[in-house]
Amino acid sequence: MARKTSIRILFVLGLMLLSAAIVSAQQTFNTTIYFDYTNYLSNNGSVTSAPKNSFFTFRRAYFTYENKINDNLKFRFRYDADSTANLTSVDLTKGSTKKDDKLRPFIKHLYLEFSNLLPNSTIKVGLAETIQFKFAEDRWGYRSVAKTLMDGYKDVTAVDVDAPSADLGASLAGSLAKYVRYGFMVSNGAGYSHAENDKYKKIAGNIQLIPVAGLSIVVYMDYEKQDKDDSAQTYKLDGYLEMVRNLVIGAECFVYQNEKYLTADKVRYDVSGFSLFGRYLFNPDVFSLFGRFDRYEPNNKASNDEMTLVIAGLDWSPFHKSMKLQPNIWFASYANSEKKNDVVFNFTFFLSF
Amino acid sequence: MKKLIAAITLGLAVMAMVLPASPAQKKMIQVKGSDTMVNLVQILAEEYMAQKPGTALAVLGGGSGTGITAIINQTCDIANHSREWRQKEIDQAWEKGVSPRFFIIAVDGLSIIVHESNPLEKLTMAELGAIYRGEVKNWKAVGGPDEKVSLYGRQSNSGTYVFMQEHVLNNKNYSTDMKEMNGNAQIIEGILQDEGGIGYVGVGYLFDKDGKVRKGLKILNVAKDSKSEAYSPLDKAAVDSGNYPVARPLYQATSGKPSAAISAFIRFETGPEGQKIVEREGFFTIGAKHNELNDNNLR
Repeated sequence: MARKTSIRILFVLGLMLLSAAIVSAQQTFNTTIYFDYTNYLSNNGSVTSAPKNSFFTFRRAYFTYENKINDNLKFRFRYDADSTANLTSVDLTKGSTKKDDKLRPFIKHLYLEFSNLLPNSTIKVGLAETIQFKFAEDRWGYRSVAKTLMDGYKDVTAVDVDAPSADLGASLAGSLAKYVRYGFMVSNGAGYSHAENDKYKKIAGNIQLIPVAGLSIVVYMDYEKQDKDDSAQTYKLDGYLEMVRNLVIGAECFVYQNEKYLTADKVRYDVSGFSLFGRYLFNPDVFSLFGRFDRYEPNNKASNDEMTLVIAGLDWSPFHKSMKLQPNIWFASYANSEKKNDVVFNFTFFLSF
Repeated sequence: MKKLIAAITLGLAVMAMVLPASPAQKKMIQVKGSDTMVNLVQILAEEYMAQKPGTALAVLGGGSGTGITAIINQTCDIANHSREWRQKEIDQAWEKGVSPRFFIIAVDGLSIIVHESNPLEKLTMAELGAIYRGEVKNWKAVGGPDEKVSLYGRQSNSGTYVFMQEHVLNNKNYSTDMKEMNGNAQIIEGILQDEGGIGYVGVGYLFDKDGKVRKGLKILNVAKDSKSEAYSPLDKAAVDSGNYPVARPLYQATSGKPSAAISAFIRFETGPEGQKIVEREGFFTIGAKHNELNDNNLR
């Protein structure tokens, strides 16, 4: 009884604190959700031969809390829930080993952000975004439809390229001049899903050059020792063109080398990929078109494992920009002639409030 | 089923293609930004639309930061801002291929207000900065009554917040005790009910429907330093000459050279008719120097 009362008091206090937080301009809450209706338009492809060919999926639900403590210090906490979160063997059924497919949240961001400790710079300490593909994500702009090149294929090809979207560590980003920006991060390298499992840290850096307004070239490198003898590194080059009003064109390519990735003949194989994408805003906040072409090579020593993906879609906000309808079609083809092409239609719903 | 999906997709595509091309949306000029300027620009837009049938303007607030971000992201046509752009914003615009052009449409004497019961008449810039940094916590320290100072200000996306921070607080942080209000009107409401309160608002917000300073408010004179004379934000000559130390231009920005339709609206705002409205709404008109800048940027 006493416990119930305590819970009620805590609940009321929680609501009061929440209300107080909402009225304060320093604190913000934000939720972003995307889910799909998927229909396989082919029926004998590598993916689309599965019996399940028409379904709804909740892919992501973010809940973000930010507290701007002062003009130089900010705190961010983000819960993320995805459809694979249950695969971490979370057992909430008190003794039962039965799993289910519920979305379950996990912590994606938990960091402090310091501004201008160094001139024109930002320092983040904690579980924060990595600097590997943030430029690409921002320009592509349709994380709700598809992840970007380095983030997306590790699930499809089952070849990890050591590219988590968030990691525990510290990062520094800033600008040296109008034409030059930089980023630097030291992190566990294990990503937000795992605890650190070795003594080595991942070191990552990028330089962004903007020689003329609207043209960016980004060079990125990272390095992490895997154990006493082996290391892994990523080389990445991006280019972005934003000179024409409402048009964004981007290209990114990367090579990932890991001395643990060996063929049967004990020869190292590399993973690489190339992506070209674009979007055009016909009417900002109302209607856009987007498209993307990816070429992915999970093993440069294997002859026919490359895959090509083409995505095309539109983004329409008929009522308000916080609710977007993003129908899109994916066309995947494979170098392996035994694998048939996949054609998939997704009707993506994007909500942000 | 496939045919149905294809039909839905095609239908949506056609609808969406048609929507942005509709005549009403094509001519709509989107203006976004400063809350200090939102009422003024709304009135200017209404007057302009009345004179030019067929034109359409939508004016939204949200703060100077919001307007500047919208211009950088090219989601509006004109940004209202009551502060200058920060270096970070200029860099972001460069990155996104946006070359902003700036226009000054009015001048604001940023007004320091207290409750009418406060006997204080003036403050120096140093005293004002110390109050907002939280270093002075009692009115007695600056010649006022023995009463706790209660701070009212704006949120950080407000241009007025940034202007005060840069020009009055010497780029230091505001006191954490400051109540961050959503707009000028909310600051005034707060001061009217708080005898220890102090706030800052655009001069155009001081007046009631009859053009008189709102009852219950006292406007403090401000001096550059302890040796200088203190001036009122209502003194146009002091604002124009720079003797009133917290005066500021009110800006608009466009992405590159404005189109003919946007140019026509800016010319109206900065021309004789627009400036009459500026004066009527309690702000100050622009001078020859500002006009020259506007003309150059319209070319």
